[in-house]
Amino acid sequence: MNDQRKGEHAEPTTHFGYKDVPESQKAEKVAEVFHSVAAKYDLMNDVLSGGMHRLWKRFTIELSGVRPGNRVLDIAGGTGDLARKFSQLVGPTGQVVLADINASMLKVGRDRLLDKGVAGNIEFVQADAEKLPFPDNHFDCVTIAFGLRNVTHKDDAIRSMLRVLKPGGRLLVLEFSKPTNKLMSKVYDAYSFAFMPLAGKLITNDADSYRYLAESIRMHPDQETLKAMMVDAGFDRVTYHNMTSGIVALHRGIKP
Amino acid sequence: MLLAGLLASVEHGLNRVLRMDSTALPRLAALEGKIIAIDCRQPALQLYILPGDEGLMLASHWETKADCTLRAPASSLLQLALSQDKPAVLHSPQVELEGDSAVLLDLVGVLQDLELDWEYELSRWLGPVATQLIGGHLRSRARWTRQGLASLNQNLGEYLAEEARTLVGQREAEARFAELDALKIDVERLEARIARLARSLESSDNA
Repeated sequence: MNDQRKGEHAEPTTHFGYKDVPESQKAEKVAEVFHSVAAKYDLMNDVLSGGMHRLWKRFTIELSGVRPGNRVLDIAGGTGDLARKFSQLVGPTGQVVLADINASMLKVGRDRLLDKGVAGNIEFVQADAEKLPFPDNHFDCVTIAFGLRNVTHKDDAIRSMLRVLKPGGRLLVLEFSKPTNKLMSKVYDAYSFAFMPLAGKLITNDADSYRYLAESIRMHPDQETLKAMMVDAGFDRVTYHNMTSGIVALHRGIKP
Repeated sequence: MLLAGLLASVEHGLNRVLRMDSTALPRLAALEGKIIAIDCRQPALQLYILPGDEGLMLASHWETKADCTLRAPASSLLQLALSQDKPAVLHSPQVELEGDSAVLLDLVGVLQDLELDWEYELSRWLGPVATQLIGGHLRSRARWTRQGLASLNQNLGEYLAEEARTLVGQREAEARFAELDALKIDVERLEARIARLARSLESSDNA
């Protein structure tokens, strides 16, 4: 929905942070960002969110309603925080698929989970959220945490998630959103554009990736827009929960 | 978010404690997949407990139906946590139990049987030699404290009973009670004799 066409035959463009790039280049540029930060992704998450990302993910687990025997797909699963908990909840009779488009992130996630002894009911798949390589009506729950804003065609990705969900299955989208409080919004802006690139420079020696992170958050649809996108895609009973004054929102929709 | 943070901290601490007992986690693994809801009525608070092989997961909200729900005011929940006779607390009128109570009793059993190997945990941080020294020192202090308290108790009792004469000593009291018991039996025996004499006098008068 943020895509633009410049001229009749020009390649459609999309945003990459505040820049406009040809659609075909966005995935590659996002991949570069994540290749660069993969090794210190967890550390940076803890530093930048002050550990809050653990609580946001915890709330996502609580709302997932996952139970033993369920099939769960964790898209953009990164280093496997959610997948690890889901693996425990679905038990030996269930299945968890950790999918990420980025090979570096997937490798870090796979190594980390195997090191922690998480195995048996978990699979690792390199997949594009827009074209999920799974059968229709296959999963009881699909989650995407801090991944949707990096997807080029968000509508296509949401439709793809709807397709792989079983009827009655739940989609949970955990993503940065728009602060509901004006004062908080100002503080958050100052924090995002001053501290985040600085911390990126100091810890991963990569300020640009964290500048992209701040910009991509601003370009991501706000709570109501994302809700409307999910409804348009065909989800039922779509609700969202603001967390930390709307800095992060958890959207949930049920496949009818 | 504040409650979620608090629960996450409690969960982390609780699971560290559970790991110090060699049997707790395998026993909790048997309860994997079960959901226990604690519905505190006063103050209104809900807590979900999900046992697993890594310990307990605590949540303030859970979407799926609980296997066992315990509804009670905070005072009864505290009593349940501290009491040795848990079935008696569970049968009290303020406590309401719904679903499979065996799940709750199994969990309570695991928590009640905890035997924490704190020396092992300490040795992970300080090493075996330091742990042995600290452990030996703490055990000898504990023994000394126990003996000291027992001695203090005995000396205080003897002082109050024998020297200050503020209280009656145990042996003295027992001797007095024995005398009273003997007196009571003598009086009862005398009463019985008088009654028999009275009966025999009445029969001779009638003759």
